[in-house]
Amino acid sequence: MSDEEHHFESSDAGASKTYPQQAGNIRKGGYIVIKGRPCKVVEVSTSKTGKHGHAKCHFVAIDIFTSKKLEDIVPSSHNCDVPHVNRTDYQLIDISEDGFVSLLTDNGSTKDDLKLPTDEALLTQLKAGFEEGKDIVVSVMSAMGEEQMCALKEVAPK
Amino acid sequence: MEDRVFSSVHSTVFKESESLEGKCDKIEGYDFNQGVNYPKLLRSMLTTGFQASNLGEAIDVVNQMLDWRLADETIVSEECSEEEKNSSYRDSVRCKIFLGFTSNLVSSGVRDTIRYLVQHHMVDVIVTTTGGVEEDLIKCLAPTFKGDFSLPGAYLRSKGLNRIGNLLVPNDNYCKFEDWIIPIFDEMLKEQKEENVLWTPSKLLARLGKEINNESSYLYWAYKMNIPVFCPGLTDGSLGDMLYFHSFRTSGLIIDVVQDIRAMNSEAVHATPRKTGMIILGGGLPKHHICNANMMRNGADYAVFINTGQEFDGSDSGARPDEAVSWGKIRGSAKTVKVYCDATIAFPLLVAETFASKREQTCEPKTIA
Repeated sequence: MSDEEHHFESSDAGASKTYPQQAGNIRKGGYIVIKGRPCKVVEVSTSKTGKHGHAKCHFVAIDIFTSKKLEDIVPSSHNCDVPHVNRTDYQLIDISEDGFVSLLTDNGSTKDDLKLPTDEALLTQLKAGFEEGKDIVVSVMSAMGEEQMCALKEVAPK
Repeated sequence: MEDRVFSSVHSTVFKESESLEGKCDKIEGYDFNQGVNYPKLLRSMLTTGFQASNLGEAIDVVNQMLDWRLADETIVSEECSEEEKNSSYRDSVRCKIFLGFTSNLVSSGVRDTIRYLVQHHMVDVIVTTTGGVEEDLIKCLAPTFKGDFSLPGAYLRSKGLNRIGNLLVPNDNYCKFEDWIIPIFDEMLKEQKEENVLWTPSKLLARLGKEINNESSYLYWAYKMNIPVFCPGLTDGSLGDMLYFHSFRTSGLIIDVVQDIRAMNSEAVHATPRKTGMIILGGGLPKHHICNANMMRNGADYAVFINTGQEFDGSDSGARPDEAVSWGKIRGSAKTVKVYCDATIAFPLLVAETFASKREQTCEPKTIA
């Protein structure tokens, strides 16, 4: 096969979304993948080796996108998947009628594929601020191919 | 005057006794001048008194269980089918034996006595607790060791050793068990989803007996001999812990206890025209579960309890066979004995004088009625 056949797009698609970490090393406040969902750990308890077999870590975690509580029990020597969680700031350009927002990226292009947040309070604040013509910068959290607006701040107009 | 007082006192102290000659057995222990003859020693227990006599009677009752044939009963012609009147059929119909035991006995060497009985199909139904199952499987993966009752708990915990009486089971044994069983649960879940298998405790145990594939395991022989092993309390043990952890990894495995209670009670109900006998080591769940099933057929015909329980607290574990008669779990006409003894002493001796010696004599396999 000649090299011309290989054309790699520079995008996040090829980068790994998770990395493995030993269950015993994941702490409260860290991230973990449970049932395929990226979660933030709120509680860890370890039970020592005993009648139940190998030492185990019991994780209670919150799905970072849906806020659902999930739990898992994993042998502490086992590897778990930890999601890469990124936070990026974008300037808000427009809110479209079909529920998407238009954002300005660092390199000057637009990002139009982000949906409006599901969180009521955030949504109201966003719409209100936009109606009033304020300059808004939104924080977008992304993990495992999913992204969601998690915070916004109003910037004073220059 | 003094003579009258004297003779009245004399007749009070020396009250004439009823003669027991011919009515009761004389007490006579073993005479070691005969040499150290173990079968004779064991047979002498019947006339030695206290629990030795109870063990002697238990041996008697078990031998009656093993000797009984339908041919021994008179035919009640209205109730009998043609087949039941046939004499060679009646010679082949034997007592159905339920064997129950608690998990500590499987941790002990009594496990090997149990294995012998199952290997030669000498019992028909087994009921035990979860520990009674896993300790048998774990012994195929790693051994249990002899320790001491007085070993300090905190010290043992720091060394990763679990104490069962004066036995020790290293934590690592349970880790090996976990590594062995979790993939089997995965397969079982797959079969449940793809082939619509509905697992029950007894089906699960048959599968584990198949998978362990080790001749030292009684569960293996139960699988080979098609002897059902019932364990309604399946979640209460290390096996239950494994089910718990497995449900986090891949959830959905269902284990149906309703099907098993049908099967267990059916074993008793459909035993007729066979008589039923219960041999129960220890108390708790196995004791009650077997007695309860036999209640469904108006009571067992033979019962031997070997346990250390006392009845003063009203517990079922400590209850004598006569209490079970009041429930209809044992027939009023049944032959029953309770031996107040640790089964690690009583049971191997009992098997020596019953199942094992009969097998030695006949050397022919038991025919399944």
